[in-house]
Amino acid sequence: MTVSAAPEAALSVLPRADGSAKYSHAGYTITASVNGPIEAQRRDEHPYEAHVDVVVRPAAGVGGTRERHLESVLQSSLTQIILVKNFPRALIQIVLQIESTPGNDYVNTKLFQASLNFSIMPALFQTAVLALLSAAVPMRATATASVVAVVSQDKEKKLIVDPSAREIEAAQSVHVLAFTSHDELLLAESEGDFSVKEWDDVYETAKKICCQPESQKAGIEMVPDDDNARGPDMRQFLRSTLEEKVAADLHWK
Amino acid sequence: MPREAEPSLNERQFVLQALQENLRLDSREADRYRPLEVTFGDEYGVAKVSLGKTRVLAKASAEVTVPYADRPLDGVFQIATELSPMASPSFEVNRPTETEVLLSRLLEKTVRRSGALDTESLCLVAGQKCWSVRVDVHVLSHDGNVIDASCFAVVAALRHFRKPDTSIEGGILTVYTPAEREPVPLGWLHSPFCVTWSYFGEEGEMALLDATRAEEQVRVGSCTISLNRHGEICQIAKLGGTPVEAVILLQCTAIALTKVKEFSAYLDKKLAEDIKRRDAGGRSAELTAENDR
Amino acid sequence: MEVDQQHPLVLPGDTIDPSLIPTHKKQPLRLGPGLRHIPPNAIIPTVAGQLIADHKKNSMWVEYNGGRYIPSPNDLVIGQIVRSAADLYYVNLTPYTSSATLPQLAFEGATKKTRPILAPGALIYARVTLANRHMDAELECVSGSTGKAEGLGPLTGGMAFDVSLGLARRLLMARSREEGGVEVLELLGGEGLAFETAVGRNGRVWVGSESTKTVIAVGRALRETDEGDLGVEQQRKLVKRLIREMR
Repeated sequence: MTVSAAPEAALSVLPRADGSAKYSHAGYTITASVNGPIEAQRRDEHPYEAHVDVVVRPAAGVGGTRERHLESVLQSSLTQIILVKNFPRALIQIVLQIESTPGNDYVNTKLFQASLNFSIMPALFQTAVLALLSAAVPMRATATASVVAVVSQDKEKKLIVDPSAREIEAAQSVHVLAFTSHDELLLAESEGDFSVKEWDDVYETAKKICCQPESQKAGIEMVPDDDNARGPDMRQFLRSTLEEKVAADLHWK
Repeated sequence: MPREAEPSLNERQFVLQALQENLRLDSREADRYRPLEVTFGDEYGVAKVSLGKTRVLAKASAEVTVPYADRPLDGVFQIATELSPMASPSFEVNRPTETEVLLSRLLEKTVRRSGALDTESLCLVAGQKCWSVRVDVHVLSHDGNVIDASCFAVVAALRHFRKPDTSIEGGILTVYTPAEREPVPLGWLHSPFCVTWSYFGEEGEMALLDATRAEEQVRVGSCTISLNRHGEICQIAKLGGTPVEAVILLQCTAIALTKVKEFSAYLDKKLAEDIKRRDAGGRSAELTAENDR
Repeated sequence: MEVDQQHPLVLPGDTIDPSLIPTHKKQPLRLGPGLRHIPPNAIIPTVAGQLIADHKKNSMWVEYNGGRYIPSPNDLVIGQIVRSAADLYYVNLTPYTSSATLPQLAFEGATKKTRPILAPGALIYARVTLANRHMDAELECVSGSTGKAEGLGPLTGGMAFDVSLGLARRLLMARSREEGGVEVLELLGGEGLAFETAVGRNGRVWVGSESTKTVIAVGRALRETDEGDLGVEQQRKLVKRLIREMR
């Protein structure tokens, strides 16, 4: 099975949800649905803001601590970009269904699941943002995310964008960063041993991928950089996906 | 518990009125299914079914575990159905609703209890190690008839799934990774499918197949019949609702058999297409010893 | 209309080219859906869509389809009665949201002794009078100024269909064919079908007719136009096909 390097997305795929999106990249395929603003349960009601509820469902199994961690990370970052003050006492419900994860033919499945926590985070984040855009939930800005691993090779540190499972196993540290469309850092999670200098390099690399100033060309561009720090231009991808959707929606004009 | 949206009086009366005139909202016949499509994922064991606007995803997976103490020669087989708010905001995580419990029981009786999957073939070392096969059913969109769509997805996923190959030498069990040896299919005995009928009218005299959500909310009774293409019935469930004449029930069962034969043929065709797609230019091509000049 | 420089695609948080913002000597700039104002002079989109500026009326908004209906004053909506309380009806405009309120006296010719009795589950055509984020929306079934119903009030019989918010908006336009690109209802009427409709901005359309077949045909026409994103030509073909199937 070849893993395509370019991300793909389709919007409004679920007919009964307010908004939905299906996103695939680097072997991950995730479908997200957004419903809201709807009435919140008494226990979740907030007098001045909407409550953002994120549910992550794995492909196999019921989901445990790992999924709760992903949910809480996503909830705190998405609450920052949704205009929650517009809908007091309401609920914005986001459900993320993981459909497939990159296979690893060299390890048996059970051992493999545990290491996937970090690399799935940007895919989940991106799918959620796309679904929110499809549902026309008012937002402050859009956001893009990416994952970078620091690997030591011949006594030098190399950065790998969108590392595969084998690369993650061998990596010294793995980092997930998300930026808003105003170039602000929204989410930063790291795991492993690393120095401040390494984190700064990771920050610069991720920023280049997520915050490329947009050009007028259509399609997906690869961010030119030294080997292995390449990645797709996420903002351009977001914009071209939305352009297609808006053009289809407004065909009647 | 969140508020399920009730249909309005106008809608209720209209659906019944239309049925009196033998009309359905989408102009289907009473015994016709919406377009059914199944697609398989790149990974083995992932099946996605769409029945009109209802979408269900089933994923089969397996791991090695210890068998139950009272059944040392059998493997473990579970079907998990947890409805999430994706299907409808009225479903909450960790709070099973009646729909969920019914779905779970029907799939249990149809696929597990009928012996569709040969659990003895899952045994690796008697009393110590066996395969535990698990199918997770995710309802992505609920527009009626989740039961039939889920059962189809479960059967499709299990037939598509390949478990890792194993060998035992001198009491040591080796489980091969997919790179070492091609995974093998499960021991499958027969393919059961569910057919759900919905009843309308004061005496349940009007019967419809594959009700949409709007029709489901207005029905007075329903009956789910599970059988395979040989006409062997796995279960019949009519859980309450308006009493229906026995003659109508027999007619429903007969029509259910024709539908199941169609499902069976369709699934066989789709599985064959998938195998062909994987082979073309895939491993089989790599494994040939020819040189290409 | 193509997405172009004049009417660009905007995403939430984008900066808007100041040359696109209409200016007028006397009228203040009006912002429609999808835009928010951050004082002193920043206008920022909040949803993804096409930015439209009307220089004549000095207003600006983002055109988009999808999402959930948010009540806004003067909208015509189709609501469903949930229950009645002392002087109010609780009316549901969209599923899973809190109810709007409708005073029992807000009907034509209603007095304390002669008010209409509406059962839970009944449908009404109403206008939104009050809507803000802190309070439940309020409705009326009578025109505030004239005291006449003007088409508002209970809807009996017929069937309610769900449509997307974009299609509902297009159907409600004064010149739905030229500006909204939707002609399907007129075409069906032109083929001799007799029916009446009420379009709610909240994505519901009520269709009433003597013949059940007619209602079903209209419902199917609406649904296929919506889901298939049909243009006017395709709508003509659709109507011809539905009429043929009816006979």
